[in-house]
Amino acid sequence: MPDTQALVNDFLNKLKKRKIEGSQATAKQTAELLRSVISQTRMPYTNQAAALIHSVKAVGERLIAANPVELAVGNVVRRVLHIIREEDLSLTTAAMAGLNLSAESDDEDDTDRDNHPALSAAAIAAASRSTLRPPSLQTLLEDVPDSAAVPHTSSSGGDSEGKSKSADKSSRSRKLKHDVIEAVNELIQDISTCHELIAEQAVEHIHQNEVILTLGSSRTVLEFLCAAKEKKRSFRVFVAEGAPRYQGHLLAKELVTRGLQTTLITDSAVFAMISRVNMVIVGAHAVMANGGVIAPVGLNMVALAAQKHAVPFVVLAGSHKLCPLYPHHPEVLLNELRSPSELLDFGEFSDCLDFGSGIGAPLLHVVNPTFDYVPPKLVSLFITDTGGHNPSYMYRLIADYYSADDLVLERRTASGN
Amino acid sequence: MWWRSASFILDRQQEQNTNLPPNPESLLLSSPPPSMADSLQNPKPDISAYYQTRAAHHAVVTNDWLAQAQAAVSVQTNDDVSSGSDGRVAPTGGGTGGDNKTFSVIDEFNSWRKQPDLAEAVAAIRALAAVIRASQATTMMELEIELKKASDSLKAWDATSISLTAGCDLFMRYVTRTSALEYEDFNSARYRLIERAEKFGEISYKARRIIAMLSQDFIFDGCTILVHGFSRVVLEVLKTAAQNKKNFRVFCTEGRPDRTGLRLSNELAKLDVPVKLLIDSAVAYTMDEVDMVLVGADGVVESGGIINMMGTYQIALVSHSMNKPVYVAAESYKFARLYPLDQKDMGPALRTIDFGVPIPSKVEVEKSARDYTPPQYLTLLFTDLGVLTPSVVSDELIQLYL
Repeated sequence: MPDTQALVNDFLNKLKKRKIEGSQATAKQTAELLRSVISQTRMPYTNQAAALIHSVKAVGERLIAANPVELAVGNVVRRVLHIIREEDLSLTTAAMAGLNLSAESDDEDDTDRDNHPALSAAAIAAASRSTLRPPSLQTLLEDVPDSAAVPHTSSSGGDSEGKSKSADKSSRSRKLKHDVIEAVNELIQDISTCHELIAEQAVEHIHQNEVILTLGSSRTVLEFLCAAKEKKRSFRVFVAEGAPRYQGHLLAKELVTRGLQTTLITDSAVFAMISRVNMVIVGAHAVMANGGVIAPVGLNMVALAAQKHAVPFVVLAGSHKLCPLYPHHPEVLLNELRSPSELLDFGEFSDCLDFGSGIGAPLLHVVNPTFDYVPPKLVSLFITDTGGHNPSYMYRLIADYYSADDLVLERRTASGN
Repeated sequence: MWWRSASFILDRQQEQNTNLPPNPESLLLSSPPPSMADSLQNPKPDISAYYQTRAAHHAVVTNDWLAQAQAAVSVQTNDDVSSGSDGRVAPTGGGTGGDNKTFSVIDEFNSWRKQPDLAEAVAAIRALAAVIRASQATTMMELEIELKKASDSLKAWDATSISLTAGCDLFMRYVTRTSALEYEDFNSARYRLIERAEKFGEISYKARRIIAMLSQDFIFDGCTILVHGFSRVVLEVLKTAAQNKKNFRVFCTEGRPDRTGLRLSNELAKLDVPVKLLIDSAVAYTMDEVDMVLVGADGVVESGGIINMMGTYQIALVSHSMNKPVYVAAESYKFARLYPLDQKDMGPALRTIDFGVPIPSKVEVEKSARDYTPPQYLTLLFTDLGVLTPSVVSDELIQLYL
């Protein structure tokens, strides 16, 4: 236990000091940390899933609070919670089916307690599955579980308790943890290979002699473009430099070393050049539930320019960037102000920024926001590791990846902040 | 200015009670909402029954209000009242179109509908549950056929009410499709169907609570919300926001002709929420001050658009052109399997409009009570299934009715 405590604190510190760059690295490290948390959690005899969920949630809340802007942390926490619920459910159903076949008296007890006189194992499974499923019209009239009906008092613990008690066998006790860790390993694998999966689709989207525009630098975009190049597509890339960090310079350099025709332009030249562009391909910081994108600063402008000229605006995002929350005031709440030194040389402007001189407050302010919010209507297509999707389809992916109960975890922490 | 509406309702009541002796006491008996007075047939085929009830429930001058006023004017005898109400409540075997049963689903539906807090769809489901209870069917098939007949007659009785249709469809879908059929025993299946239908009343109340909780994040401090018409869900959302000590103000449209906006502004004033009343035509004028538009819905259709009180469409158009978000609060049992292509695609729900002055007979009056707002003008829908984009609605409907 103290072992993980130290790891958690270390990671918290890194998050707070913004030491980890990029959502992929953050997501991966979060998943690894949660894996060790899970493996260190002491499993009680009954109700193991709830114990795991509890410990993951406790750590997750602290991680999210450490850097609420890095949505990948919350996404991974929620993915892991979903994994736990899923594994628990599949074990329960398996156990239930076994019990039902042998028709033990154990089964009788269970059904009596649940007050469903003639309930089959399938019905129980269906009922508990709906805790994972987001509420839908179908579940509305069916035997609605409490958790689905009242999402703000997340309490699937209650009904999973009853089931896990009844189906608790000694063989099961270590199985759950093992399965969960296995699934988390898969998740880590997915996160680290998402670039390749996205890049595989490059040839479908980039055609011969096209002109592609991108802004700043994103590893996903780099791999995507290179994958198309490797498949013998010849095309030209315009790279907007991405002030104030000028990561576009690095991208341009990298593209040239890989043998791609590259043109570097300033951010302000995007509109001037957009009429010659066939497609805009950019990376994202996070994708919200409504299909809106939290993206590096400057991308909203690019998206508007693209819309003006009816150029497709394509966003590449690994599934760990998919966030089940809706953007409320994304410009303020989901933004981060970076150091002004990226914009201005402090030595030259120190007079203007001096607090000591004049009326107390300096006349010159430097604001350096990191992110832009691109509304869903400006995005033509999302390319994730599962394929291309319309912005309005994002909710569907989210329903696959996250369970409805876990959205609440954020809400509580969000209001706490 | 209320007297005009009051007289309007009085006139209507008198019209409906022409079969009663025309002594002044008869007015006192007629406290039930007009649509209940003659429950077996829609008393005025040229006015949507749905909007009659809505007017009775949500208009500023309610029938309760009238009844109180009348009671204050003259003293009434008790036995009259009791006999009057008895005659109405007891579902005597009336000939509903063709089927001469001792039990009429429409009677049942209407008696449920009288409760102002109960949604139309819930009333429909309750009525269908009563059909199950009263039926002598011995197999699931028989029961299904009986239910189908009942729901068809319900739907035919008021074709203009979308939530009635949606409620019937939803319940029929449940009966024919869901896990209830897994119970081999017919009686227990039947019992469970009734039980579910009864619980549905709670679901409707719970749905409003969920929607109110979900929408809280969208109402931020210092915002101005434009509201059109009276909707229980919207009121619940605003009430919850007020209870959460949110600082916001509300612009209410007047909601001509039944002035449902006045009712909403009354309710909000009781909650100490700053309210400003607008005439319906002042929406564009005030839109630059508005941060979001929040409306309810009579029905949510398959395209993700909504059907709502007349004027919603133009508000959505105005806010779209001014880049303001339009949010819709609607319970999921209002999702209907309709796909209107334009405004005139559905049968219009008509209602009378009181202009205050006599209108020459040559002048035509547009009496339709609702319009269709296409999904591209809506930002998000707050439903008990979660916060949804309009395209999710069709997805949900497809999943259910596939």
